[in-house]
Amino acid sequence: MIESAILIPLVTIPFVVSLIALALPSNARNTEAWIAGITALGLFILTAMQYPAVDDGGAIRHNIEWVPQLGLNMTFRMDGFAWLFTMLITGIGFLVVIYARYYMSPEDPVPRFYAFLLAFMGSMLGVVNSGNLIQLVVFWELTSVFSFLLIGYWYHNAAARDGARMALTITALGGLCLLAGILLIGQVVGSYDLDTVLASGSMIRGHKLYVPILVLVLIGAFTKSAQFPFHVWLPNAMSAPTPVSAYLHSATMVKAGVFLMTRLWPVLAGTPEWFTIVGLAGMATLLLGAFFAIFQQDIKGLLAYSTISHLGLITLLLSLGSPLGLVAAIFHMANHATFKASLFMAAGIIDHEAGTRDMRKLGGLFSLMPVTATLAMVASAAMAGVPLLNGFLSKEMFFAEAIEHHADSILDTAAPYVAVLASAFAVTYSIRFIHGVFFGKIPADMPKHPHEPPFFMRLPAMLLVLICLVVGILPGQTIGGYLNSAAMAVLGPEMPEYSLSIWHGFNVPLLMSVLALVAGILLYGILKTYLATSEEGPPYFRELKGQRIFERVMVSVSWRWARLLESWLGTRRLQPQLRLLAFIALVAAVLAATRRGVPHPTLSLGNMDLLFTGLWAIGIICAIGAAYQAKYHRLYALILMGGAGLVTCISFIWLSAPDLALTQLVVEVVTTVLILLGLRWLPKRIEQNYDGVSLETRLRRGRDMLLAVGCGAGTAFLAYVVMVRQPPQTIADFFVENAYELGGGRNIVNVILVDFRGFDTFGEITVLGIVALTVFSLLRRFRPAPDNIDSPEQQLLQSRHTARSDESEEAETASIADEYLYMPSVIMQWLFPVIIVFAFYLFLRGHDAPGGGFVAGIAMAAAFILQYMAAGTRWVEERLRVLPVRWMGMGLLVAAATGLGAWVFGYPFLTSHAQYIELTLIGKVPAATALIFDFGIFSLVMGATVLMLIAIAHQSIRKLRAAKLPTAQENA
Amino acid sequence: MTPDLSLSLSLAAPELIIAIGALVLLMIGAFSGERANTTVTGLAVAVLIGAGAWLVLFTGTGEAFGSAFVSDSFARFMKVLTLIGSVVTLIMSVGFAKAEKFDKFEFPVLIMLSTLGMMVMISANNMIALYLGMELQSLALYVVAAINRDSVRSTEAGLKYFVLGALSSGMMLYGISLIYGYTGHVGFAEITNALMGGERQLGLVFGLVFLLAGIAFKISAVPFHMWTPDVYEGAPTPVTAFFAAAPKMAAMALLVRVTVGTFGPVAHDWQQILVFVSIASMVLGAFAAIGQKNIKRLMAYSSIGHMGYALVGLAAANEAGVRGVIIYMTIYLGMTLGTFAFILAMRRRDGNVESISDLAGLSNTNPVMATILTILMFSLAGIPPLAGFWGKWYVFLAAIDAKLYALAVIGVLASVVGAYYYLRIIKIMWFDEPVGGFQPMAGELRLVLGISGAFVLLYMLFMGPLEAVAQTAAKTFF
Repeated sequence: MIESAILIPLVTIPFVVSLIALALPSNARNTEAWIAGITALGLFILTAMQYPAVDDGGAIRHNIEWVPQLGLNMTFRMDGFAWLFTMLITGIGFLVVIYARYYMSPEDPVPRFYAFLLAFMGSMLGVVNSGNLIQLVVFWELTSVFSFLLIGYWYHNAAARDGARMALTITALGGLCLLAGILLIGQVVGSYDLDTVLASGSMIRGHKLYVPILVLVLIGAFTKSAQFPFHVWLPNAMSAPTPVSAYLHSATMVKAGVFLMTRLWPVLAGTPEWFTIVGLAGMATLLLGAFFAIFQQDIKGLLAYSTISHLGLITLLLSLGSPLGLVAAIFHMANHATFKASLFMAAGIIDHEAGTRDMRKLGGLFSLMPVTATLAMVASAAMAGVPLLNGFLSKEMFFAEAIEHHADSILDTAAPYVAVLASAFAVTYSIRFIHGVFFGKIPADMPKHPHEPPFFMRLPAMLLVLICLVVGILPGQTIGGYLNSAAMAVLGPEMPEYSLSIWHGFNVPLLMSVLALVAGILLYGILKTYLATSEEGPPYFRELKGQRIFERVMVSVSWRWARLLESWLGTRRLQPQLRLLAFIALVAAVLAATRRGVPHPTLSLGNMDLLFTGLWAIGIICAIGAAYQAKYHRLYALILMGGAGLVTCISFIWLSAPDLALTQLVVEVVTTVLILLGLRWLPKRIEQNYDGVSLETRLRRGRDMLLAVGCGAGTAFLAYVVMVRQPPQTIADFFVENAYELGGGRNIVNVILVDFRGFDTFGEITVLGIVALTVFSLLRRFRPAPDNIDSPEQQLLQSRHTARSDESEEAETASIADEYLYMPSVIMQWLFPVIIVFAFYLFLRGHDAPGGGFVAGIAMAAAFILQYMAAGTRWVEERLRVLPVRWMGMGLLVAAATGLGAWVFGYPFLTSHAQYIELTLIGKVPAATALIFDFGIFSLVMGATVLMLIAIAHQSIRKLRAAKLPTAQENA
Repeated sequence: MTPDLSLSLSLAAPELIIAIGALVLLMIGAFSGERANTTVTGLAVAVLIGAGAWLVLFTGTGEAFGSAFVSDSFARFMKVLTLIGSVVTLIMSVGFAKAEKFDKFEFPVLIMLSTLGMMVMISANNMIALYLGMELQSLALYVVAAINRDSVRSTEAGLKYFVLGALSSGMMLYGISLIYGYTGHVGFAEITNALMGGERQLGLVFGLVFLLAGIAFKISAVPFHMWTPDVYEGAPTPVTAFFAAAPKMAAMALLVRVTVGTFGPVAHDWQQILVFVSIASMVLGAFAAIGQKNIKRLMAYSSIGHMGYALVGLAAANEAGVRGVIIYMTIYLGMTLGTFAFILAMRRRDGNVESISDLAGLSNTNPVMATILTILMFSLAGIPPLAGFWGKWYVFLAAIDAKLYALAVIGVLASVVGAYYYLRIIKIMWFDEPVGGFQPMAGELRLVLGISGAFVLLYMLFMGPLEAVAQTAAKTFF
């Protein structure tokens, strides 16, 4: 347990040092390099010391309980395979730190660089040493994040920002897929522990979720390892500082994908699906990467595509599902890391010294920097697979595996040919790199005059090239044992027989190697002149810029689609909002109805009254007409609405509710008058264009009509269902039985109002009074805003009249009636006393028959407002003193006094007393105290209604706020 | 006074304090003229805090006014949240009022009345009280939305809100009357009893649907969300902050009480509705926000999305779910108030700005503000270990417990999409070219923003006690 705890510092130290590095001042480049270098070297040595524990299939595990209730543990686990990767990460990390010390310019803020680099190293170590898959995903995402930060290190550079963003987008999306895949694995296996998962390979492969798991995990791995078609981010990531490219995009991060595929190889590999998906991706990547690499002009671009191609090779090896293929894949991972890192370092040196990475502007550098040139040549020979170098060995193994027969498919048959072709391409681009940069004439336009870099800048590359050579010549003695334990960690005890030596005799793989070498050299001979001047990128394909496609997708997803969605989902206008609301209500109701089953109340037509039906038909027609005319002719709509209201009143009478009918009638009259006054300020009609109604408009109207019919029918149906239902016990019976006995009245509604629920009524009239005052005070200062629509006709008449009355003294008293409404105005004036008498009658009979204070009050108000309408505000106010506020106050006081009166006699508030008294001439008159209370109601209702109506009527003597009406000016 | 009445009055004491306080303040405002605003706001804050203190210290558990009103641990907790929302909004409005000529003493009074309505909603134990509370808060909100009468946008927003609100209130009333018609009761407990036995009738389902529609309108859940962006954008910013905070707490509490409490026996019926509403809200909130340019409008879509997440917990219809909703709403309150404190502080010399592009390069011009907003945005996006993550965690956990896998998966995906637009704000602040800084923040805004940032950042520290409180509150229904 103590020994295994070594894994914790292994992963955590880089993060800790990273924080320290961040805190240092920005010019402390040497200190930074020292602490970063020591950290990396220390970890390297620490790892190396662990080898005995992981040799021969052993593994170190360390478990930290984190949230045991949820089964979440931190598990670190190092086996031979993870050990090999840890060595690569720390070792190359160390070399990159040295290199970066000389590469980064003094102006660069290095603390950020080293901090990110170390944190990235920690994340990567976390990935390879995780014993828990969730934990692995967390570190995986951390590598994406730090890679983003490192690529975007020179954030003032647009290319760096774009490259960083693209890398993050693609790899993070891949990481998300990976997480989903891992969660599915956890669902299948029941554990995220790596050992448990590795032991349940057959269970996962047999599960019905296998394909989703496979696809999701592979997307994760492919995005990270830049497999076709997710490779587009890698070339753009080359805008990172070269040490970053050398570390992340050759040796470590891009290897995480193939690392994961290898890690889960025992679980996922060996099925036809695996072979098809992985093989296809690997083969396409191998070939396309190599082909594209030939045509790059940027050295780093060439190396990037070469990296893509080599990763494709590893993927292809892994796809085969044979143990030997796996060994070759692991071997090639290590080899590629060494030679590619050294090549990137060489590219960085060239860039640093010559000031450009464009191969068209470079040449003949061999004479100027022979050591660097030699290093680069050896490393690219390894890349091309020249014998005596490590690249050759793994490539031989690849060829041997490619010609093996694995599965009956075109893919398998094509493998050897693809392998040879891709190797030939590899040879071509390697030669192109060496020849283009180090040989030929020194171009005149080279930005700087290059010379050998400082020794310590070359040292890392030198060490790496040395490893290439040593491994290439003495593979068995150097890497053999480590490779064995790494492979064993993945494969377990069933290790295949293989031999690591440079000479296997004359066999097919050797022939393929020779073929590839020769073909590659010939191909370079053909392309040489074209490449010397050609544009960046391969012919035809260069139009197909991965970055542009990516940008376009990003823009589409983040802006275009968003706009589109907003225009669909966003509803700024009220009309569609209301429509949507009605529609949703309808849908919800219909859904509920269909799910629950619709009841079938029997509709008995037997006792239908023809006259009543006809009456309702008129009412319905009026209502529909009102709705239809609401937009184009408000006055018609109002008249029709009055018709519908009238039918309602008649229905009430028909159904023996005369008091309801009366109230309804009076309310109807008052509201109509109110709206009429309001209409004054609105244009009379919008001209309907009958000819030019487009199809779209028709469709919209049709849809709205359907919606309206649906909602109406639904509501009617619901109302019907409720009505025919046996009602539950209601309170109505109580009032019917007790109205006369307890309240002393036969008009039950009125008794309820003034007696049973007197307190409520008292509250209500108070509210009514407040409302009236509010309306009045709001309208008192109201002046309508100037409108951009032409003034309606009646308003023009009015203003003409007003304009004239302003001028002449006589016109002051003239009424509107002079202009129009002549006959009605006379009738209305005559009606005044009649209505007052009628109101009084209504009030008195209220106790026993339909009527009451409320109705009487409204009727009285109607009498007043009719005068206003008939003769105009000025005319009426000249002749009548209406004091609505006093009426209101009196009403409230009377009502309250009645209530308090009960207290005087020792009864609760608002207790009423009822009796009849005999008056001469009139006869028996009810004299309940409720009658006084009712008078309070009458007074308040009358006052409040008149106040509101007057407030509106006063609008007629106001002018528009802004400019005067045009017609008024013409007249003046 | 009868003992019954005095018990009722003592249970409803916080509401009474606010009601009387609002009336008194209205008088003070009306009689002391234009300059009363600051005084009235201060007194309103004091009254609300007093009511809150009374609520926490003295209010017991029980039913009042013939079971129309209930006070239990859930109600108390949600009321505290509502009061926090109202108080903080009022405090934040002071500076705005001075700077933007927003000195209207009606504003604090309306906020108080609306808060009163919300508290009645939370404590409602029958349909009448429910409707009463709902209308009281709505009417105040209609006015508040249009309080800036000189602004066309504000007026339009208020009018739209009113029309749609009236329609949805009508629908809800229709639903209530159907429920009454079929069960013969208005009391929640009686309705539950009536639902226990006998088959469920169609009318009842209709009633439930319409009732839920009315409440969904108040929490601005899809498909009743249409008013939200317009009102958020159009209303003055303190009003928007209020809309985003307090009413959501109350309406969500009411929704919890009505569904899990009253309609518990027919959980199956409303669960499907809530699942739909939740998914629609999360998805719409995530996608429609992407293209927004105005930060208030963005916050509107954000709040729609967040209500969707909260509903995930409610849709689970179990104790863990209700606990999740409570925790979610608490965290949402903290994040929202902080964000609006920030939006209120987006001032240049020539006035307030609301556009997202105005945030460009804020990390240079005002690093502290930028950092806190970054924390808030990360939290809104639900990135661990900030508070927003834990809110989502609890509701998704509850959904998975209830085997609502599809809901949980869609929720997670929607939050990924949603993260995009929160992160975009961060990106604009940290990586875009600066366009000039803001005026120094007012003290009260600084305080709110700081507390909110600390709450979000340090949520892990006090999540234990909060969870315990939420658990107790959730126990009310199980």
